[in-house]
Amino acid sequence: MSLLEPTDGLGPWNQFLCRACGLIYDEGEGDPDSGLPPGTRFADIPEDWACPICGVTKSDFEPYQRRAPVAPASIPAAPQRRAGVVIVGGGISGWSVAEAIRAENATIPITLVTACDGSLYHKPELSVALGRGLSPDALRRETGVTAAARLGVRLMADTVAVGLSPERHSLRTTRGTLRYTHLVLAHGARPALPSSLDPALCWRVNDLAAWSGLHDELARGPRTVAVIGAGMVGCEMAEDLARAGHAVTLLGAATLPLPDLLPEPAARRLLAGLQGVGVRYQGDSLVRGLSRRPDGGLTITLADGTSLAAATVIAATGLAAPSRLVRSAGLAFDHGIAVDPTTLRTSGPDIFALGDCISIEGRPCRFIEPIGRQAAVIAHTILGRVHPGYAHAAPVIRLKTRSAPIALHGAPVAGSPWHVVEESEHRLAMEQRHDGAVTAWLAA
Amino acid sequence: MPSALALRPAHAPACSAADPPPARPDADEWTDAAVLAGTTAIADGALKAAAAAIDGGTYPLDIMARLGAAGALGVHLDRFGARFGLAVAAMQAASRSCGATGFLMWCHDVCGLYLEQSGNPALSGAVLDDHAAGRTFGGTALSNPMKAFAGIEPILLRARRVPGGYRVSGMLPWVSHIGPGQYCGAIAGVTGAGDTISHEIMFRLDCDRAELKPCPHFSGMEGTSTWGVRLDDVFVGQDDIIADPARPFIGRIRGAFILLQCGMGLGVAEGSLDDMLAVEEALGHVNQYLDDRPETIAAELAELRARVMRLAETPYDGAPDYLIDVLDARAQVSELALRASQSALLHQGARGYLMSAAPQRRIREAHFVAIVTPAIKHLRREMARLSQEILPTGSLQGGRP
Ligand SMILES: Cc1cc2nc3c(=O)[nH]c(=O)nc-3n(C[C@H](O)[C@H](O)[C@H](O)COP(=O)(O)OP(=O)(O)OC[C@H]3O[C@@H](n4cnc5c(N)ncnc54)[C@H](O)[C@@H]3O)c2cc1C
Ligand SMILES: Cc1cc2nc3c(=O)[nH]c(=O)nc-3n(C[C@H](O)[C@H](O)[C@H](O)COP(=O)(O)OP(=O)(O)OC[C@H]3O[C@@H](n4cnc5c(N)ncnc54)[C@H](O)[C@@H]3O)c2cc1C
Repeated sequence: MSLLEPTDGLGPWNQFLCRACGLIYDEGEGDPDSGLPPGTRFADIPEDWACPICGVTKSDFEPYQRRAPVAPASIPAAPQRRAGVVIVGGGISGWSVAEAIRAENATIPITLVTACDGSLYHKPELSVALGRGLSPDALRRETGVTAAARLGVRLMADTVAVGLSPERHSLRTTRGTLRYTHLVLAHGARPALPSSLDPALCWRVNDLAAWSGLHDELARGPRTVAVIGAGMVGCEMAEDLARAGHAVTLLGAATLPLPDLLPEPAARRLLAGLQGVGVRYQGDSLVRGLSRRPDGGLTITLADGTSLAAATVIAATGLAAPSRLVRSAGLAFDHGIAVDPTTLRTSGPDIFALGDCISIEGRPCRFIEPIGRQAAVIAHTILGRVHPGYAHAAPVIRLKTRSAPIALHGAPVAGSPWHVVEESEHRLAMEQRHDGAVTAWLAA
Repeated sequence: MPSALALRPAHAPACSAADPPPARPDADEWTDAAVLAGTTAIADGALKAAAAAIDGGTYPLDIMARLGAAGALGVHLDRFGARFGLAVAAMQAASRSCGATGFLMWCHDVCGLYLEQSGNPALSGAVLDDHAAGRTFGGTALSNPMKAFAGIEPILLRARRVPGGYRVSGMLPWVSHIGPGQYCGAIAGVTGAGDTISHEIMFRLDCDRAELKPCPHFSGMEGTSTWGVRLDDVFVGQDDIIADPARPFIGRIRGAFILLQCGMGLGVAEGSLDDMLAVEEALGHVNQYLDDRPETIAAELAELRARVMRLAETPYDGAPDYLIDVLDARAQVSELALRASQSALLHQGARGYLMSAAPQRRIREAHFVAIVTPAIKHLRREMARLSQEILPTGSLQGGRP
């Protein structure tokens, strides 16, 4: 704070920042220790003057605009003396565990660490929201801060869990090291992008933040959009984009969409539905490369040498659970964090996992339905309550392609034959059998 | 799990402080066991005795020369088998006695790394031989460029292309392990028209061609010969170029650069453990009420050291996951050194608070480990950045619909 008011007609005192050490020279205060009386204008400082802290000279200073002071965010005052439960991940899985614990116990300390802002939203909506004209705000059901206050949870948003020492019950994060009595890993899976696709050139839709970026890009009017990958997310996104008025090409590796899941007659109905809403399907297309043209548009090159132009590219090439955190802690990982099928315990002491990041008998199962039941089992175990345990069952898969909705029940086995039970213009029913019993059936 | 103490090498015969460094150390004698034994002997002898003086301002070039002769400053180089684990272990052994000297070893080690990895024959021949054996000395002025590359602050040295090389000007605060007749690795932004930076160059800076300005007093580590360095139109020719452009080079050595620093913090933590154990017999009956007791610190130290040693097997692994593992270990090393040194002072009480006592010095050493680039805050910021999903940006202006 300068005591002296400027009288030299050159306006208010200015400040200058030392780029080397961050010292701020204030003209009103001067630098009396180096012989610059208060009120010495920067321009009048001799060239051989040196920063009183680090010794750099005048030329390493730059004009400084005071930043608006940032008020410290208000955090719950209750000091977290007891370690309590630490949850990693603020998706549906992470919040479900917090809810399930709080439903039974109001006092056990819970800390939720999440790399995102912790907003609560229903992820399946991301593949139907453009066609409905929804905005990111409309998808957000509750902010992380509100949910944390409601549940009495300490929320550490924009914080990444980076290291884990199971023996010491400690989790290292980008905002400090946390001790826990129980750790719940709910960090989900990440889009698996083929190395031929530059991540800076194509969108992946696996969280609200990324979807919001895509939404902004598409908000300026109809565009040509290419969707790479004709799995569930790719097919749903393609239809949604078409409904929102964009010119969509869906690139599939096989002749028909969803080859791993659907028998040919069902896939044909899906294809017809997609085409009916204006999606152009290009099958047998393996993507080799993606680049930006000088005019700003994008070019996708295919394995057969042909190429395709688009203004926006979305990759829906599958998910993979990240393994670094658990592997470097010595926890078992097999296509996902390996958990016990009934207790959902990982191989580490007092560490549980659920949702998109886990695998059961080496198989991930990335759907909403199991998450609530998994969260309840984990909450009961942590609180020492009896619980029959988790019983894994393949959830019903409902493809949200309104043009050709498909529901899949049971445990379909890729490659084993499907039998047509009913086939009419309006309905297709098929089933898979094993030893005479129906093991999977679908309706399209 | 072996305790931290059990991981230490068997004691080798101590050489006395009066031993002169051999004129021409034979690199074939630098076996793992010999290097560790030689380093430990120096650390437990002359270095331990000099630690307080070094903290207060004595620059221990004589001890550095002996560490060099023992192989402690060269074994991480490709020419000596790229034994990074051994280099970290040697730095740990020295830092256990004196954190400032551990830091000097790190400065020296990475400078050697720059010279060798440069592939420049003018730097990787006799110049490197002398450096690796501790016959000449040099440090590193990369704090500012490392932070500049991470987007934390602007780059301070500027280079201008001239026939046959560059001319470099600017001022760097706080460069250690330099002095008359010494050198350091430095990075400057090459400016073209309009003062924009086209790329960066990395070069060996001969300190005799720069002005060294004394720094204000630090609260510790005063014997690290730390200076402000002013360059006024200094010519940098081909013979001094380490990398042009510098960024890909830095990307390649970044993991190794950061990993090596772990030796400092592990040593400070281990020295703190020594301080706690030293008073256990006399004060254990009251110290049992403290947090971070010796067995807690020893267990974490052993686990962390084992992790660092595993990472040291692949120092040039370029995968982001590897780099995050290194950053995580380096951050944990800082946190452990802080906790261990704090606990050591609490364990020793007033005797540790004496100005001549090790615990109060180690607290300041641990603080240095935690603030020297990359500081805890830089490490966390970088881990957060590397963990983020890369998404399209700037495509908003891009293209027709
Ligand atoms: C477009 C789309 C449509 C879908 N439609 C359906 C559907 O119709 N029906 C259905 O059943 N399922 C559907 N799914 C799948 C379903 O949405 C997911 O299975 C479910 O949301 C997974 O929740 P989760 O909390 O386990 O993981 P996520 O939602 O991925 O949450 C992971 C959380 O962890 C955080 N995180 C990650 N790494 C770290 C770290 N290192 N440190 C701290 N935090 C971290 C993330 O920021 C995030 O908050 C769909 C998925 C998508 C992408
Ligand atoms: C004893 C000692 C020896 C050292 N030896 C070496 C050495 O050998 N080699 C070497 O390269 N470095 C050396 N350093 C430097 C050291 O590594 C750090 O770079 C130094 O301590 C400063 O880092 P920091 O974390 O404090 O900077 P940060 O706190 O991260 O600040 C980063 C930058 O932010 C900017 N900034 C600060 N305040 C503001 C503001 N209000 N608005 C806008 N911008 C701002 C400044 O430009 C500042 O430099 C040494 C330091 C010490 C103490």
